[in-house]
Amino acid sequence: MSLEELAFLALAVVALATAVAALLVRELVHTILWVSVFFVDLSAIYFLLEAPFLGVLQLGVYAGAVTILLLFGIMVTRKRIFSRDAATGLGPIPLALAAVTFIFLIASVGEFPNSPTPLQTYAPALLSAQLFGPNGPWLLLLGLIMLSGVAGAIYLVREGRE
Amino acid sequence: MTALPVEGFLVLSGGLLAIGIFGLLTRRNFILILIAVEIAMNATILNFVYFAAFAPTAAGLSGQAIAVVLIGFAATEVAVGLAIVLALNRIQGTINVAQATELKE
Repeated sequence: MSLEELAFLALAVVALATAVAALLVRELVHTILWVSVFFVDLSAIYFLLEAPFLGVLQLGVYAGAVTILLLFGIMVTRKRIFSRDAATGLGPIPLALAAVTFIFLIASVGEFPNSPTPLQTYAPALLSAQLFGPNGPWLLLLGLIMLSGVAGAIYLVREGRE
Repeated sequence: MTALPVEGFLVLSGGLLAIGIFGLLTRRNFILILIAVEIAMNATILNFVYFAAFAPTAAGLSGQAIAVVLIGFAATEVAVGLAIVLALNRIQGTINVAQATELKE
């Protein structure tokens, strides 16, 4: 087993463990801590996949901005930020539904070639050429949705709306 | 040049999606529901990045480009979600979705 495979296995185990921990711990603030570890872990996987731009984006947007936004959300919605009303029970039906989803996803995967495919390395400049070339409409759509999202968010939180 | 197991990635992203769905169905706190959606979305983004990494030509970078767009979508979704959390908290005094029945003041 190569070093990269070992690194991937370790990162995958940490990703699954932190995702479960984030949803099962009782303190909401601990949830945010676990989920930030999860985001940093995924960013490490992106670096392992030779996608450094996405790794940095994941660190900046998810581990940075989204985590702080969620913490801010907790801060302003409760008097004491440490409070134990976060988790509820496991629930056998949702657990079974999640298990069925997982088994269905794994079972629906077809055959893959046995020979390991080498990982390609590209310069980030090529990614920008893809992003602003053939995928330009998606980027434009993202801009429009972000704009309408911000407008909607401001409308929702403004004082005294009728 | 390295090679990573495709089965491992599929199990990881499938597992993350299942965890996200489980969180979505069991949690009652709006912020935890947002986090569950983020976990499920990250599973999708991981697949895009993984399969883009093995494309033989530079056109395969489309997967990474779509991943960039998806990360932007996810950030917008959190921003709007938190605006709803703040509005819910102001109007109903709780962010428990089981008690949230309306957003009107």
